Amino acid sequence: MKASLTRISWMTRLTFLEAIRQRFFAFLILLSAALVLSSVSLRFLDFGHGELKFVCDFGFGGMFLFGSVLAVVMSAQLFFAEMDNRTALTLLAKPVSRTEFLVGKFMGVWLVLGVFIFTLSTLLGIILWARCQELTVAAIEAGKAPPELSITGLFSYTGMQWARLGVVAAMILMVASLARTFLFTVIVGSMLVVAGQLQWLAQETLLKPGDLNIFSKLLLTVSTYIIPNLQQFNIGDALTLDHGSVADGAVTLALFSGICYIVVFLFIGSLMFRQREI
Amino acid sequence: MNTGPAIAVKGLTKDFRIGLRGLKLRAVDNVSFEIPRGQVFGLLGPNGCGKSTTLKIILGLVSPTAGEVSILGFPFATTAARSRTGFLPEAPYFHKFLTGRELVAYCARLSGVKPESVNPAVEEALALTAMTEAGDRTIGTYSKGMLQRIGLAQAIVHDPELVILDEPTAGVDPVGSAAIGQMIKAMKAKGKTIVLCSHLLGQVEQVCDRIAIMDRGKLVLEGRVDDVLTRRDQTIITVENLTPEARRAAEEVLAQHGARVTSFTHPRRSLDDLFRELVTGSRDA
Repeated sequence: MKASLTRISWMTRLTFLEAIRQRFFAFLILLSAALVLSSVSLRFLDFGHGELKFVCDFGFGGMFLFGSVLAVVMSAQLFFAEMDNRTALTLLAKPVSRTEFLVGKFMGVWLVLGVFIFTLSTLLGIILWARCQELTVAAIEAGKAPPELSITGLFSYTGMQWARLGVVAAMILMVASLARTFLFTVIVGSMLVVAGQLQWLAQETLLKPGDLNIFSKLLLTVSTYIIPNLQQFNIGDALTLDHGSVADGAVTLALFSGICYIVVFLFIGSLMFRQREI
Repeated sequence: MNTGPAIAVKGLTKDFRIGLRGLKLRAVDNVSFEIPRGQVFGLLGPNGCGKSTTLKIILGLVSPTAGEVSILGFPFATTAARSRTGFLPEAPYFHKFLTGRELVAYCARLSGVKPESVNPAVEEALALTAMTEAGDRTIGTYSKGMLQRIGLAQAIVHDPELVILDEPTAGVDPVGSAAIGQMIKAMKAKGKTIVLCSHLLGQVEQVCDRIAIMDRGKLVLEGRVDDVLTRRDQTIITVENLTPEARRAAEEVLAQHGARVTSFTHPRRSLDDLFRELVTGSRDA
């Protein structure tokens, strides 16, 4: 067990090193940081919402969008780089099992996604905190209630986004372990991510009393179990600006479900990867 | 200690399915051989004859359609078997951003070398492959010869019992090839079993104890190098200062004993030897 964990940790290190040296990662993190920073100067476009909410939405949107792109493309790219460059041949000829290889890849990608999401979150936290101080002074002077901001809530949301990106990365690696090409993996993986974001619609449809036929009911029921509900991780506004509105245990439940999906996707992925000829 | 063969292959067959209709392409066809421990075994054959596929099956990278493989006494290339095996793939490609030393250390950890033993093991492997000086350069800057040598270093860093080398001299100049040949001999002297796939038949002849030749997926010959190459019905005598008279006399004496001289030639050194005599240093160093 210890030897296996050692091998996984070395696979993780290699994957992480490879990932952070890629221009794609640097490009996306710079682009996202620019988006988060620009939210301050664009706050006059608040569409009638509170200023902090606009900054939050803008920042969360950047983290969500670019985080998803990074999770899909980087997971697929790092997997296929090993296959196409035949470095996997050298690694898998060592006493590294296919499961260890896949888990190491996942951990490396997840670590990179963690760096991405926590860097942006810290940046957003600094912007929100600084603006909140200014707004609090202005509100007190005007005799109004100061705006609410929970930095703890922001980092809870960050943790949830990290879990969401972990689910996406595990899903992509599962597809990649079966797929032959990078393009196929990215397309199918992206479709699964979109399906995951819309999975809550299937849940709502099932809960509504209606005249669904058995086939539709069965299809929707199965899809709610197979496809993870990625929307459950997107409660950033509530966590950061209105912490009291989040139901007890919602964060824990979402994190638990995320971990379960990661384990299941990696398990299925490793079963398929074992059959693959290198 | 297990004294059975290092590798035993029995009735190995591998079919690849190609195209949408799933047509079968037989890459390896009912191949059987055994590789005794402590020997250098040459697996030869033209491109596409199934050598690399056979090696991949032995290493568990490809599953066979039929047949059995045992490696170091294990029924299949289990993790335990692979921890005692080193492999240099054909045209090796490693992560370019690592230095040679980092790669070898990384492979040592993956192969189960204890943390306190990693540095000495890495230095020994780099020294054996003459890569100590270039060890701190990134792999992206290496020449083909250096890539092969660092590949060899990563294959032997964990002191494996069995070393499998797939085309270790591909793209390497004669000086580098000779150096790799010396490394193989050094490993053999340490009691390692070595499987060598190569197109350098001269080198294979020099370093191998046994050879097997494959063609179109089938094993067409297998045996000890001396047995398969020596023509027992003919003898070569090398003589210095042979005059025409002495030659005639020798032919007469041989004829009296029923022997017939088929040729008188001057010995030649190989172009390989001549090249190595003239070009002494490696350009990679």
